[in-house]
Amino acid sequence: MIHQKKSMDKKTLFRNILITTLILGFTTAGSFAFFRFTSNAENIAVFYMLAVVFIARFTTGYVPGIIASLISVICVNFAFTYPFFSLTFSVDGYPITFAALMIIASLTSMTTTHLKEKNRILNEQEKLLMEAEKEKMRANLLRAVSHDLRTPLTSIIGTSSAYLDSGSSLTEEERRSMVQTIYDDSNWLLHMVENLLSVTRIRQTDAHVSTTLEPVEEVVSEAVSRLKKRLPDARIRVSTPEDFIMAPMDATLIEQVIINLLENGIYHSGSDAPMELTVTAEQKNAVFRIRDHGHGIREDLLPNIFDGYADTATSSGDSRKGMGIGLSICKTIIMAHDGDIWAENLPDGALFTFTLPLGEETYES
Amino acid sequence: MNHKLTVVIIEDEKNICTFIETALENHDYKTVAAHTGKEGLSYIASLCPDVVLLDLGLPDIDGMDIIRQVREFSAVPILVISARTSESEKVAALDAGADDYITKPFGTSELLARIRTALRHSQMSASSPKSSESVYRCGDLTINFDKRLVTIADREVHLTQIEYKLVSLLALNAGRVLTYDFIINHIWGPYADSNNQILRVNMAHIRRKMEENPADPKYISTEIGVGYRMREPEN
Repeated sequence: MIHQKKSMDKKTLFRNILITTLILGFTTAGSFAFFRFTSNAENIAVFYMLAVVFIARFTTGYVPGIIASLISVICVNFAFTYPFFSLTFSVDGYPITFAALMIIASLTSMTTTHLKEKNRILNEQEKLLMEAEKEKMRANLLRAVSHDLRTPLTSIIGTSSAYLDSGSSLTEEERRSMVQTIYDDSNWLLHMVENLLSVTRIRQTDAHVSTTLEPVEEVVSEAVSRLKKRLPDARIRVSTPEDFIMAPMDATLIEQVIINLLENGIYHSGSDAPMELTVTAEQKNAVFRIRDHGHGIREDLLPNIFDGYADTATSSGDSRKGMGIGLSICKTIIMAHDGDIWAENLPDGALFTFTLPLGEETYES
Repeated sequence: MNHKLTVVIIEDEKNICTFIETALENHDYKTVAAHTGKEGLSYIASLCPDVVLLDLGLPDIDGMDIIRQVREFSAVPILVISARTSESEKVAALDAGADDYITKPFGTSELLARIRTALRHSQMSASSPKSSESVYRCGDLTINFDKRLVTIADREVHLTQIEYKLVSLLALNAGRVLTYDFIINHIWGPYADSNNQILRVNMAHIRRKMEENPADPKYISTEIGVGYRMREPEN
């Protein structure tokens, strides 16, 4: 407590003085009025008692309460006790009133300070917990990232060193397929890096992005063509609204989300039927729906699908996973746009939906 | 006989340089590699190459400065290679006088296509512009510049004045990306509002008239934050 008093800065001191003066002044004024109308002096002490309780409650430390009780005793004695407007210390019960006020003030101050202290400790603990949680998430993400980066790298290094060691004894077809593997895996690696880089466009301070108004159809078409460049065999059916709609966004990031969701469907749905990408304008949102006609998402993965690491441990044998990170990045990006993202299972396949608020368009009309 | 076209590659990463050289030499180009900006500038001045490939992140001179310095004495097509994906930088390079850009990483086919486009345009402007073909053809799309007629599968597409200007500007520069500012300057004049919304609304109308599916365009592709690019004509 001593430490607290010492650390009490000027602001707190000023605040304490202000509160004490105000409450005491108010009480004194009230008491005068009450005394004038009723001439009843017995209740005045009770008023001051109340004032002291309030002062102790709303100020920091013991001092204001004790000073307030001292002033209160003097006030009661000086103004409201016969002989009026003179200090007499011989009046019966004076020491008792004083002692009672002191005790009340001290007790209240003590309780308040104690509560405040407890609150502070609780807050600090909560902060520590949150920090630990963040740290845990970061560690999980890092683990997942390094796992996902290492898989294609292992394949690239392994295949190319095999090629270098025994290139001449391999058939042309074998060599071709090895180089194809290297090519595919490096493309996958690039995709991962792009995903991770996209996160750096999100501001650290408020987890938001700088947005500009972009036509939804242009963003969609660029995303689809970027994906097709890497996966020429991908079949995607795209439809955008007939009306021209623009939404505030960071186009690079939204393209990344569309690509990640489409790619997720292409690799994980277990179906060759074309993916469907539909955009509609609903109320004040642009709603993007990406669905496949595969076997859906395993129910036990559904609740954590955007958490980033739900996927890594469970999918086995398939080197092209890492969609866990892709999906968690989708969520980060959409949250940074104040949108919403969710996944659900339909009778025939999975549906991913995300929304972007149209925002500024409202005051265009 | 020396019919080979010369390409100067200015790139400080040796591995990337080697890969580009191999790819280009396999397609009958003569390549000269420079690992610094200074070296590159002297090669451009002394060799008069047909195309320059320029990496923006060089150790000695800023890529933008190289573009500006080259433009003082040469109209050689400059293709910018950049690892930086930031749109504003691409736009800055194009506005400084670069002809096109290619983002790292890229495949050989993409690189070769860009070089061919750049060469075609430099040859077109070198010969008298009138002699350039007066018809653009790509898939079902035909643009007859003399008759100011745009048809898709022999059906006429009704475009407004501005829309036709936009389409023909893109078609004359087919294969190249045109920045928003460049297009706005050409269509609406230098004093037009630099806000590109009007351009994008017009492009949306054009897409609805010309493309089967506006969300999956065949002829005019979007490079958000930079501009638009029309597909290479098929001859």
